[in-house]
Amino acid sequence: MGDIIQSGKLSGVRPRAVSEQQSIVDAQHKPPAQTCKGNRPHGAPAQSDAEQSGKEIALRTTSTQTIMEKLAILTDAAKYDVACTSSGIDRRGNGRDMGNCAAAGICHSFSADGRCISLLKILMSNECVYDCKYCVNRRSNDVPRATFTPDEICELTMNFYRRNYIEGLFLSSGVVNNPSYTMELIYQTLYKLRNVYRFRGYVHVKGIPGTDPRLIQQIGFLTDRMSVNLELPTAEGLEKLAPNKHRKTILTPMRQIQNGIAQGKQELALYRSAPLFVPAGQSTQMIIGATPESDYQIMSVAEGLYDKFGMKRVFYSAYVGVNEDKALPSVQTASPLLREHRLYQADWLLRFYQFRVDELLSEKHQNFNVLLDPKCDWALQHLEQFPVEINRADYQMLLRVPGIGVKSAQRICKARRSGALNFDSLRKIGVVLKRALYFITCNGKMMYRTKLEEDYITRNLLAEHEKLPFDRDAMTYRQLSLFDDGQENAGLFGQNQLIRSG
Amino acid sequence: MEEYVLICEDSTEGILTGVYEAYQFKKRMGIASHDVIHLAVREPETQRLCTQYEQVQTDYAKAEKVTNTLARQLGSEAWYRISMALVSCFEDKADAVYHTIVLGLGQHDRNITDRLQEDCVQRTFRCARASDNELCHMKQFLRFAELRSGMLYAKIDTKHHILPFLMPHFADRLPADNFVIYDESTQTFGLHARYKKWYLMRGADFDEDRLVYSDVEAEYQELFKRFCDSIAIEARINPKLQMNMLPLRFRPNMVEFR
Repeated sequence: MGDIIQSGKLSGVRPRAVSEQQSIVDAQHKPPAQTCKGNRPHGAPAQSDAEQSGKEIALRTTSTQTIMEKLAILTDAAKYDVACTSSGIDRRGNGRDMGNCAAAGICHSFSADGRCISLLKILMSNECVYDCKYCVNRRSNDVPRATFTPDEICELTMNFYRRNYIEGLFLSSGVVNNPSYTMELIYQTLYKLRNVYRFRGYVHVKGIPGTDPRLIQQIGFLTDRMSVNLELPTAEGLEKLAPNKHRKTILTPMRQIQNGIAQGKQELALYRSAPLFVPAGQSTQMIIGATPESDYQIMSVAEGLYDKFGMKRVFYSAYVGVNEDKALPSVQTASPLLREHRLYQADWLLRFYQFRVDELLSEKHQNFNVLLDPKCDWALQHLEQFPVEINRADYQMLLRVPGIGVKSAQRICKARRSGALNFDSLRKIGVVLKRALYFITCNGKMMYRTKLEEDYITRNLLAEHEKLPFDRDAMTYRQLSLFDDGQENAGLFGQNQLIRSG
Repeated sequence: MEEYVLICEDSTEGILTGVYEAYQFKKRMGIASHDVIHLAVREPETQRLCTQYEQVQTDYAKAEKVTNTLARQLGSEAWYRISMALVSCFEDKADAVYHTIVLGLGQHDRNITDRLQEDCVQRTFRCARASDNELCHMKQFLRFAELRSGMLYAKIDTKHHILPFLMPHFADRLPADNFVIYDESTQTFGLHARYKKWYLMRGADFDEDRLVYSDVEAEYQELFKRFCDSIAIEARINPKLQMNMLPLRFRPNMVEFR
């Protein structure tokens, strides 16, 4: 076999001695029907059937592929997945095994498209029995296929992590045979990574809708974050573009994970060493621009997911045309990056600025303003609430002032406890005064003589050109990473806590 | 009005000794206010009129006394901010920190570093933010390479002397590894031995060209480069954004940009 890892040459990290019980997890290609039988306790390996291994399915992957080829194919296949965050959990090292996690998450590099590389983002396999119209790995596409073995993934993760290339593993997969079979492969990999290689870094796993709930439960104890893709904002869109997926089967595992997390927290309160179930929470993503939903619909869906499913993040992925299909926008259509950018800005307003979707959009006003960011737009529609006195306004109101972010608002609240602030100290604190000056007073005075008038302020705000993470000419829209949140929580909330009021 | 400037060594201990001496100096000379005393980390190019310059000898015992007082009276959060400011590369850090300490200790204010309307706190904040940012960048962009002995080696080039803050992060993360981080700008080594405490070392003879890398090192570097190339979406290529997120100055020491 041309496989360098299996020949042992590439192995830099020695896995711990594999106990007899653990080694049977190695057996792959088990028929899923057997593995999901009965109620296995967490962590116990699946029943093995070594004799059957390799005979069950004819994978198109040829064993002559090198690790390098596989990595290229399976990274390329995973790149349209948006979530690459390593945030949400603080786990110190145990002084023995490799790895820890920082709540803020750490980005280790940035690829040529400006998106962060935080995790080793790969598919277990890009074989897929589904035929989702928008997906590059769909069954009807003729693309090179490959499948990693659990050992290959473990070796890559350990060695990349050790060199500080990555913060952990992001493992997704095409649907091999059926969802449960695929998730069983993923389970084996994670089991090995955690218990044989003793990896304590971050792991993010995709949940495939339709998987046996018991498998989801078991994987939940091995991973830090799990995400089930919503794929498209509405059930109609899903039906049109992803005929093998159904809204209900997507929401079921989401609910299961949510309940699992809640139950885990309760158990943790009772028993300090209870195993953690998806401790970094769950996230999801949807494709924007492949189906004709409005921003209002999309944001309402997102809000519902935050409120009802306890999501940590909802990701929006501007549609990139990879397949020719009559149900899809033409491949030449520019990716709606500005729209994606506005959605992320609004998403931020929901999560950190205490806005509700109904304040930003409505039935009449279905889409975001292209020229102004959602917060400025809101402020201009609500001039009656301004100007805001910096030394007296509460934290919630400070957050609503254009030009004041979470960090600045926190600093203002802390600083004004011991004395009044003036415009000069505001600038040094980090407030963007050229935007904020129309909306604030310091000690009763405005910075300059300005009119509190919508047209006047709009003109002035537009004159200073919003900084966008891509070129303005609409043809070369680029990815935003302003919000690609390596620094999700701690970055915004400092080491300590969110200040509720001033 | 006569002013006094104490010149101390450009190190955490040096500046803390300077703070100690400044308090002593004020008492000895019967000076009414701390406002006329300043600290500097080097001799100014042009001396000012009506200003008396004094040299301060670094004294570890005195520095430790100040450290203990600060940690006790101002709390660990403020002490962390102050020590981050002390490792920054700015000229006025010593003076800013000194006056912040005076303000904090004078009023027993544990939240002294939040009072950003005060000029000295403001300057301390700026220093601490700069080194804190670089610390974050180094946690992200540092790259280890495996030597033949199995030891990991990384080279960094920093503006601020953040190596002492960087070591605990990697010691916690890689307890079972022997690793060395070499800070080129200060010629300092951070050393960590498997399952042992880490320490800093200075003044060793070192020639990077004599390092021998392990057999698999080149292969993993190639794999990672390949990974970084494949993960980018062609339709969204955006070098400007990449540059914003990952400034050029970090790239010479990163495998994927070599």
